[in-house]
Amino acid sequence: MATTEPVTTASTTTPVISVTDAGIRFKRNRRASRSFKDLFGRGQRRRKADEFWALRNVSFDVRPGEAIGVVGRNGQGKSTLLKLVAQVMLPDEGRVHVGAGVAPLIEITGGFVGDLTVRDNVFLTAGLHGMSRAEIRAAFDEIIAFAEIADFVDTPYKHLSSGMKVRIAFAVISRLDEPVILVDEVLAVGDKKFREKCYRRIDELLAGGRTLFFVSHSDKDLRRFCDRGLYLDGGRLLFDGPIDDALERYNADHGV
Amino acid sequence: MTDAHPTAQPTTTPPPADPGVASTPAARGSARRYRQALWLLTVRDLRVRYSTSALGYFWSILDPLVMSAIYWFVFTQVFHRGKVGEEPYIVFLLTALLPWMWFTGGVSDSTRAFIKEAKLIRSTTIPRSIWVARIDASKAIEFLLSIPVLAVFVIATGAHLHWQVVLWPLAIVLQAALVYGLGLIVAPLVVFFRDLERAVKLVLRFLFYASPIIYGTQALPKALHDIAAINPLSGIFGIYRSAFFPGQLDWKEVLASVVVTGIVLVVGVVVFRRSEHRVLKEL
Repeated sequence: MATTEPVTTASTTTPVISVTDAGIRFKRNRRASRSFKDLFGRGQRRRKADEFWALRNVSFDVRPGEAIGVVGRNGQGKSTLLKLVAQVMLPDEGRVHVGAGVAPLIEITGGFVGDLTVRDNVFLTAGLHGMSRAEIRAAFDEIIAFAEIADFVDTPYKHLSSGMKVRIAFAVISRLDEPVILVDEVLAVGDKKFREKCYRRIDELLAGGRTLFFVSHSDKDLRRFCDRGLYLDGGRLLFDGPIDDALERYNADHGV
Repeated sequence: MTDAHPTAQPTTTPPPADPGVASTPAARGSARRYRQALWLLTVRDLRVRYSTSALGYFWSILDPLVMSAIYWFVFTQVFHRGKVGEEPYIVFLLTALLPWMWFTGGVSDSTRAFIKEAKLIRSTTIPRSIWVARIDASKAIEFLLSIPVLAVFVIATGAHLHWQVVLWPLAIVLQAALVYGLGLIVAPLVVFFRDLERAVKLVLRFLFYASPIIYGTQALPKALHDIAAINPLSGIFGIYRSAFFPGQLDWKEVLASVVVTGIVLVVGVVVFRRSEHRVLKEL
């Protein structure tokens, strides 16, 4: 339904992300009783009253090198959209196609194991995201330097401060050599100095031609990185266009 | 595995799908990536175990050893088991108990396959079946590492090795497939029905006595032979045992085991595929 058509410029480049009529629904009451039928049923035949669509009829294409900002209030589907693009969630209807590797800055500390040292963790997490041992070895010093934790390389991860944990996690994921970067509001953590450093890294990545998918509540950050905005409300894509217009529309709907 | 429901919608939105491109995100060598991730997770588990427990490897050996010591004592010293099992009984026990540890460990651990790794699953795109495969793999490795212990007992008791030992790879492949298939069924279902975790434990305890571990299938009453063959473990344990007790090999049971394992595997793949996207939402 009334979603804005994506800006159809001459489609010489194939989209790197293409979301077609995607929808995903959740249970309102997570403890609601379930049946096997419910579990294996496909499609929309079984619609329970306690379900709601977190996203529906969302369609857009992203071409390589675009920087997309996602705007919307809390609970309107921004993070869910990011998870669909990261492919850590699968849509209930429609299609999400991502034609390139993704570096997801979502739950970045998720893969780290408390009992292992920082060194082991770097090899583990980077490896799970697809880097080869040789690539990790080549990037290792840079990762440690970026996180500023050279003195803690052989310390078990659980003994790091929470700031250090986020720093090393960001350093690893942002070093992944993937064409698409997804950024959720992870950057809200960490001190101001490190945040600025993260932003510079994102700038570098963008300059290197990466595609960015950015979720934030900060107008300033959105304007800084993004050229195109997606405005989500009530699980629908209400606007797709230049970031300034998207923010304007958002601010008009939810006056600050 | 993306469930596609292309609600026919004649707009310009659907982009021309890039022709002939398998649409996996990790297009660059997904098989390589699968192996790499499997390896990394296995090494991680071993590392964690060795860095947090002093006895590490020995725990995985100690459990079956203590159990076989108990059964050996009960059935050779207390009760006189007569014609049940073969001599040396300790070797007879271990040839089934060691693979049983792999089976029971693999199936019961797969109940927590997703729950335990929820954070990692939420943040990486590695194929979700890996969370089941890695449990199978690590238990299989533990089994292989426990073979030297069996060898020690074989030498100590003077048991004879027969040519049937060349069939072991078949048994290992069959068992790996069986544990993997069961894991694919159990792992996603537990996410929705937590009670299943305890039910699985109970079934496993039952299965311990329903499988030829402390006895051989030949010792069963005639009427039960066919029922025992349905249990895929009968054929598999028969192969392991035949290396030392050729009489334990029953090709009919092996065939039944292959068929049942195949069915389990197919059911597992279907259950897993169909519940995967719902599992991801629940984590």
